[in-house]
Amino acid sequence: MSEAAFQIPVGPQHPALKEAPENFTFTIDGEYVVDVKARIGYNHRGIEKAAEGRSYIQNLYLVERVCGICSIAHVSTYTQAVEEALNLEIPSRAKYIRTIIYELNRVASHYLWLGLAGHEIGFDTLFMYLWRDREIALNILEQITGNRVTYAAFAIGGVRRDISPQMVENAKSGLSVLAERMKYYKKLCLNEPTVLKRAVGVGVLKPQDAIALCAVGPTLRASGIKSDVRADDPYLVYDEVPFNVVTYDGCDVASRVLVRCDETLVSISIIKHALDHLPDGPIRVKAPRIVPPAEVVSRTEAPRGELIHYLRSNGTDKPERLKIRSPTLGNIPSICKSLIGGFVADIPIALASADPCFTCTDRMAFVNVSNGKRWVWTKEQLRRYSLKWYQQN
Amino acid sequence: MGLVKWARIKSPWVLHFAIGGCNGCDIEVAAALTPRYDVERFGILLKGTPRHADVLTIAGSLTRQVRERLLRIYEQMPEPKFVVAVGACACSGGVFQKCYNVYEGVDKALPVDAYIPGCPPKPEAIIDGVVKLLKKIEAS
Amino acid sequence: MANIAQKPTGETLEVEENLKENLGSKILELKVPRNRRIFVSVEKTAFREAAEYLTKNLEFKHISTITGRDAGGQTEVIYHLNRRGVELSLRVQIPPREATLPTITDLIPGAVLYEREVHDLLGVKFEGHPDLSPLILPEEWPTGVYPLKKEWTVEKIREKIANLEKR
Repeated sequence: MSEAAFQIPVGPQHPALKEAPENFTFTIDGEYVVDVKARIGYNHRGIEKAAEGRSYIQNLYLVERVCGICSIAHVSTYTQAVEEALNLEIPSRAKYIRTIIYELNRVASHYLWLGLAGHEIGFDTLFMYLWRDREIALNILEQITGNRVTYAAFAIGGVRRDISPQMVENAKSGLSVLAERMKYYKKLCLNEPTVLKRAVGVGVLKPQDAIALCAVGPTLRASGIKSDVRADDPYLVYDEVPFNVVTYDGCDVASRVLVRCDETLVSISIIKHALDHLPDGPIRVKAPRIVPPAEVVSRTEAPRGELIHYLRSNGTDKPERLKIRSPTLGNIPSICKSLIGGFVADIPIALASADPCFTCTDRMAFVNVSNGKRWVWTKEQLRRYSLKWYQQN
Repeated sequence: MGLVKWARIKSPWVLHFAIGGCNGCDIEVAAALTPRYDVERFGILLKGTPRHADVLTIAGSLTRQVRERLLRIYEQMPEPKFVVAVGACACSGGVFQKCYNVYEGVDKALPVDAYIPGCPPKPEAIIDGVVKLLKKIEAS
Repeated sequence: MANIAQKPTGETLEVEENLKENLGSKILELKVPRNRRIFVSVEKTAFREAAEYLTKNLEFKHISTITGRDAGGQTEVIYHLNRRGVELSLRVQIPPREATLPTITDLIPGAVLYEREVHDLLGVKFEGHPDLSPLILPEEWPTGVYPLKKEWTVEKIREKIANLEKR
């Protein structure tokens, strides 16, 4: 099986007929991108509307599935919102356990992302290694919560399962391996010429653009902006656990890779600290079903960036309004901007560097102003074009 | 058992179609390819085009906007073809039942031969589902 | 430990005072439920002035998102602005039959997709927005069907889009 033939089976296959909408339309001139328009109707499911018809407890399971990769971020932000509306303080032990699960999910997410980024630039061996190692994080999560991907771990009022001393030991040894491996992958990225060629100076997002276009997460921090919800607007135990906000000044794909590598290491140290300092006590308090009228803005730092939930309650057991803004949406204007003036062949990795949700970026339309041609490619077709282009240039 | 059938069972060519949703199932399908699970050692080959596929695995919630595309892809597959619904959303709509834009299962659009429940199903469950399908083909 | 009932301190109080002093009469309601959370309501006529003051004078340059809501007799639009961790939600209510607001994309370019989203889901027109084409609703979504309006129940929406699919 050759490298070029390998495909990660996510995202739809094949543009079928002209009616299907494109998520991105690129106006290009020869090999350069001149303009980018986004339209992301692909995955609209009507979650916010559905949330109004479900109880707060039912919505726990709905919001967990906004995104499978950072599911816990949505649950965490949501439970925080409901608990604030209830004026309900959850036990310390629950906060620590939530932090541990949240950060473990970040580790798994960044590992997943790095593997996908490797795949985008044709480095499938890297993809395999990273996803193999990611299984260590998933094992820890499975031991703690019972599941690998979506956890059903939180309740309104705390967490549902406790962490035993044996789990603490297993987690710590697994985390040490993950840290060692991430240091190795980081060194690899910094020294491997193929990676550097595809990542340095690619997808440049200047700091003033990042701020004006309201970028979030690693995309923002890789342009040198020190902004992280855990530090600016602390929640759970982030005002107690020491950690650094990672920034890099390169403003390019390489910087976004480095930010995520370092963030993984920071997460591992946060988790270890939390495991060592788990307070005693209950893991859950009982929460009333009815939530008095309130308005809450709840924010957390998801793996991809600032996640915000706005909740309006109305004195019943169902929310009046739940608004969710995922970090990926927050980064689309910035990422579009970073593509302009760059090569068409850089689109896959530059898009990937914002860590968007899989299906979000599958179909791409192209309009070449120099010859008037229009066509649609799938992500896979564009990826192949990029690999070939970089082999020849 | 005929040669063609033997070949089909020994090495089913699978096309995976992620139709949207939370991608949780897609991550676990992708994980099935990675070293820990490594489906290729069972002869399951992932293909990029419907024209070479025996089995279509579908994961995610079927929305109005994807339905057409799903049908086109199904039409492009040569007979005999088999469909596997991976995950609760593909089986029955999952947590997105009664959302205005979501169908309660991919079998509202095309015939399904195997259902793999889970939200998401673990890679072991996905492999198990595909193996069960192969046994069904063998028996037919 | 981050406590949801934190009393407002430091920067939050400063912003609150500043708003009272400088936007004073334009403010319909000002709530500070806890530290780093401010809710300000203004009339539509004062909205643009408030937005300019917040972004230019008070440096609320990051917008987290814009929430639209069908509030019964009114359509409510809330701009969630942020400055170094202080989240200020600017609320304005407009009549549903004349649901327009001036764009703020000249003040905060990053608001561009959030305005499109509110337009898709509630039909609010943001005057001066560079391109209010559909963002999240699928292709061929019928016009006039605004999913977040209470009148459009899930059943009604399904009925409406099912008719479109019969080809």
